[in-house]
Amino acid sequence: MTAAVATGMSRTEQRERTRQRVLGIIYLVLAVLMVLGFAVATDLTSTFGLSAPNAAIPVPNLVVPSATTVYLLAGVVAFAGAIQLTRGFGSRTALILGLVAFAFVFAFLTWVAAGQSMNLTGVLETTVQRSVPIVFGALSGILCERAGVVNIAIEGMLLSGAFVAAVVTSATGNPYIGIVAAVATGGLLAALLAVLAIRYRVDQIIAGFFINILVTGLTAFLSVRILQPYQAELNTPERLGPIAIPILSDIPILGTVLFRHNIFVYSLFALIIIIHLGLFYTRWGLRVRAVGEHPKAADTVGINVYFVRYTNVILGGMVAGMGGAYFTIGSTGGFEREMTAGRGFIGLAAMIFGGWNPIGAFLAGLVFGFADAIQSRLSILSIAIPSEFLLMVPYVVTIIVVAGLVGRARAPAADGKPYIKE
Amino acid sequence: MRKTPSSMMAILAVLTLILAACTGGGESPSASEAESMAPESMAPESEAPSESAAPEADFKACMVSDTGGIDDNSFNENAWAGMEQAESELGVEVKFLESRSTEDYARNIDQFISEDCDMIVTVGFLLGDATAAAAEANPDTRFAIVDFAYDPAIPNVEGLVYSTAEGAMLAGYASASWSKTGIVGTFGGINIGPGVTDFMDGFIAGVNYWNEQKGDDVRVLGGRVPSDPESGTFTGNFDSTDDAKNVTIAMLQEGADVILPVGGPIGGGTFAAIEEQNADAVGLGVDVDWTESAPQFTDLLLTSVIKRIDNSVFQAIERAVNGDEPQPVFVSTLENEGVGIAPFHEYEDEIDQEVKDELGALAEAIIAGDVVPSDYYGE
Repeated sequence: MTAAVATGMSRTEQRERTRQRVLGIIYLVLAVLMVLGFAVATDLTSTFGLSAPNAAIPVPNLVVPSATTVYLLAGVVAFAGAIQLTRGFGSRTALILGLVAFAFVFAFLTWVAAGQSMNLTGVLETTVQRSVPIVFGALSGILCERAGVVNIAIEGMLLSGAFVAAVVTSATGNPYIGIVAAVATGGLLAALLAVLAIRYRVDQIIAGFFINILVTGLTAFLSVRILQPYQAELNTPERLGPIAIPILSDIPILGTVLFRHNIFVYSLFALIIIIHLGLFYTRWGLRVRAVGEHPKAADTVGINVYFVRYTNVILGGMVAGMGGAYFTIGSTGGFEREMTAGRGFIGLAAMIFGGWNPIGAFLAGLVFGFADAIQSRLSILSIAIPSEFLLMVPYVVTIIVVAGLVGRARAPAADGKPYIKE
Repeated sequence: MRKTPSSMMAILAVLTLILAACTGGGESPSASEAESMAPESMAPESEAPSESAAPEADFKACMVSDTGGIDDNSFNENAWAGMEQAESELGVEVKFLESRSTEDYARNIDQFISEDCDMIVTVGFLLGDATAAAAEANPDTRFAIVDFAYDPAIPNVEGLVYSTAEGAMLAGYASASWSKTGIVGTFGGINIGPGVTDFMDGFIAGVNYWNEQKGDDVRVLGGRVPSDPESGTFTGNFDSTDDAKNVTIAMLQEGADVILPVGGPIGGGTFAAIEEQNADAVGLGVDVDWTESAPQFTDLLLTSVIKRIDNSVFQAIERAVNGDEPQPVFVSTLENEGVGIAPFHEYEDEIDQEVKDELGALAEAIIAGDVVPSDYYGE
């Protein structure tokens, strides 16, 4: 160490070198784990289904010899580890990290599917579906926090959206009116949060938490009192079925994974792009970020801080309301108490792991969705792992992968701090 | 106003608490609230018997639900149906309290004891300890507990248990016969014990029995490995229909075409998944005939595994009203029609007469003890 300092290495460079070495050691450990942990009998094969049942162009199954595949992948990881340890990959470090992660996951799946079959396309399709409400929640959080308001009430906004969408769609028979109503409800709750947080400068965590309790209590109350007796009239909404996009949906694998979804998923893709471009490439986005980072400076140059915060929080609420509608009219076709089951909070985690960036949040959501999809496959294929442990996997994987890959994320500087105009 | 954010918050917070309290009957159990929790239509009737001076009118039966809530489309709702039957046919006064968390169990039971209930019905395996403690402390009050029995028996408690696996075995046999892909699937909400797993295990037993009889090779996804009671597919909650839908989609993608979801309301996710995937597949209902409790799924419902909690609860109350000795263990079986399978309804024509005859024979063999479901749980 002292030698390194003597040669004029800066502290950051030195830290970087250490990080590279640690990564190399981790790769080597992973390789050993793969050889020991995923060892299978040599005569088994793993079958990966690549074709969805409804695919236009069937793809043959991928059948690989289990043991050989595992050892080969372990070899690749060990090789990457050796190079990483000795001279590092420089600018390609992240790429190699991704490859190693892929090799590890694939070896794991080969082990799981040894002597059985697993539909890989199905796993990826589920991955996208499971990430939808989470990413809606994350986008809502990004809109609010980029403008400096912490929105912990996303869970409540999702739940209210789910409830209102189910009731309005059932009553009117039109799911699009249901979506509009859910978006409006999310916006209204957000307006309440905005008034409390911006005008009355209530602690934003407390205000958000209070909205969550309010919505949980209110929807459960209305569910027992109104939905239960009038189940047929008020809680049997039409569901929006998948729309296959012509041509694109016929692409093998990718078509099923990306282009055979309902309008919520396509809207989500659009929102991710719009919010990303809006935040980072437009005047509006620059103003929002200025308000979130340094409201006083923004105010000095003539930006109306309160106005920007109000509009962003309300927009965020509308996005969450739309995400909530997904639960009932986009997915299950009926409201159940507390059906959002904490997805809003996972969304907040995805926002943080994604570095307050829409695309990052989407990737974080996908990591969770993937782990969730794998988790349910494992238990279906009767792998002898307790279900309670498997159910924990998505959360653990999300933390490890995203925290390890992304490193430290920085929140907007004025996040959660009320602005007082002098 | 601008200077009083805290007072505004306080008002809103109080409103919120009131709402939250109104919903979970168990949060602050008081007599008036317990009654207000009863479905609107029942409220006037529950007072009627006490006024009409019927001979049994002074008998009060009280039910403590599990956390699933009285509107869960299955378990608790089914028990409450038995209570309602007792109200209309025996003229007893009925009441219930919902438990919102495990801490409410003992509190709700004590509440009813202080209200001088003649009989307290507790719903679910998880209330076992609280019920035993209350029964031992109050030997003059009769208790009945659903899905649990005590060994040694407590003299004033009736353990109402169900040989659900017998009915589920019939459903498994029928499912194996209907399946075109040769793969069927089952999953539960939370692995809380026999109340859930008996359905899954019995279903597997039926499929295995089919394989043995027919020399077939139908596989079951999601079932438990007999050597490992912790295994099997569970969604981890009884709230999220979306989670159940996710598991069902995974099963459909792995080729299953008959799915048995065991988790009350979340079973709706199974039917949503079949619809969305446009799959040539069917689902099964649990506890009651789902063509009645969830008619919107009738098109995709092969049959339901019946567990007459309502009957057993009604009979337990009837025994108490008549002054009969409590039965320490009351087992609902195929024989006494406490468990079974529902008609095939829409799928009546798709099940061969031959299979129906075999189902009849299997039912008789189970009743006679020639076939025991647990022998067929797997290797």
